[in-house]
Amino acid sequence: MKEDMLITEVMRESCIDLELKGTTKDEIIHEMADLFYKSGVLSSKEQFIKDVYFREAEGPTGIGYGVAIPHGKSDAVLAASVAVGRTRNYIPWESMDEKPVKVFIMFAVNSQDASGMVSLLSQVAVALCDEAVIEQLFTSNSAGEIIELFSRKEETA
Amino acid sequence: MKIVGIAACTAGIAHTYMAREKLLRGAKARGHEAKIETQGTIGIENRLTYQDIAEADVVVLAVDVKISGEERFKGKQVIRVSTAAVIKNAIGFIEKVEKALENLK
Repeated sequence: MKEDMLITEVMRESCIDLELKGTTKDEIIHEMADLFYKSGVLSSKEQFIKDVYFREAEGPTGIGYGVAIPHGKSDAVLAASVAVGRTRNYIPWESMDEKPVKVFIMFAVNSQDASGMVSLLSQVAVALCDEAVIEQLFTSNSAGEIIELFSRKEETA
Repeated sequence: MKIVGIAACTAGIAHTYMAREKLLRGAKARGHEAKIETQGTIGIENRLTYQDIAEADVVVLAVDVKISGEERFKGKQVIRVSTAAVIKNAIGFIEKVEKALENLK
């Protein structure tokens, strides 16, 4: 049903940073929100961060295996988007396996948006159920490769 | 066995769809058929039909929020779980469902 929609519509190279500098959860959330903001995804970085924390308060976004999927459903989001970040060292984060995290997949969705873009985000979530994808998120060193990783999953979905 | 179910999380963006995928994979790994409806931010997808529900041996609700259409499962064996528990260990959860059904026999 989404053959004509490409993952690149929600995942831009400018929203991928495989050398995040933050060393705390708060720094990571700010750094990734900044990627969105600089790419024109957000009308207000502060509001978006507030909404990310609102979701954080509802339950862990660490999905295990060293990966977290913080997300904000926010009026400040101009276009549904995914950002990917990675740190050199593990960061303490509320996780289902209670282990720290170094790969971050952040989702931004407008509260009013029910378009196909949002369903592209759900395909990214589905791809994260694949251990081979998780593994490559830890090892890949190119933004293009990361996008390719999710594009491939899209085709086999 | 035939499993039907619903996945729904608070934001309806990520956990909902991961839980569905994990349930499908877990069911397959244990040799079962599964159909899972999602109730996410874009609404209902893969909607369960009355026939799906009628034919099911068990209903699994991987939900963190109130869902719509729960009355469809009246009279069925319903097992509830959080999306997090399913994402963490779907095969383990499916095994629990198997045991629960076994104990009912």
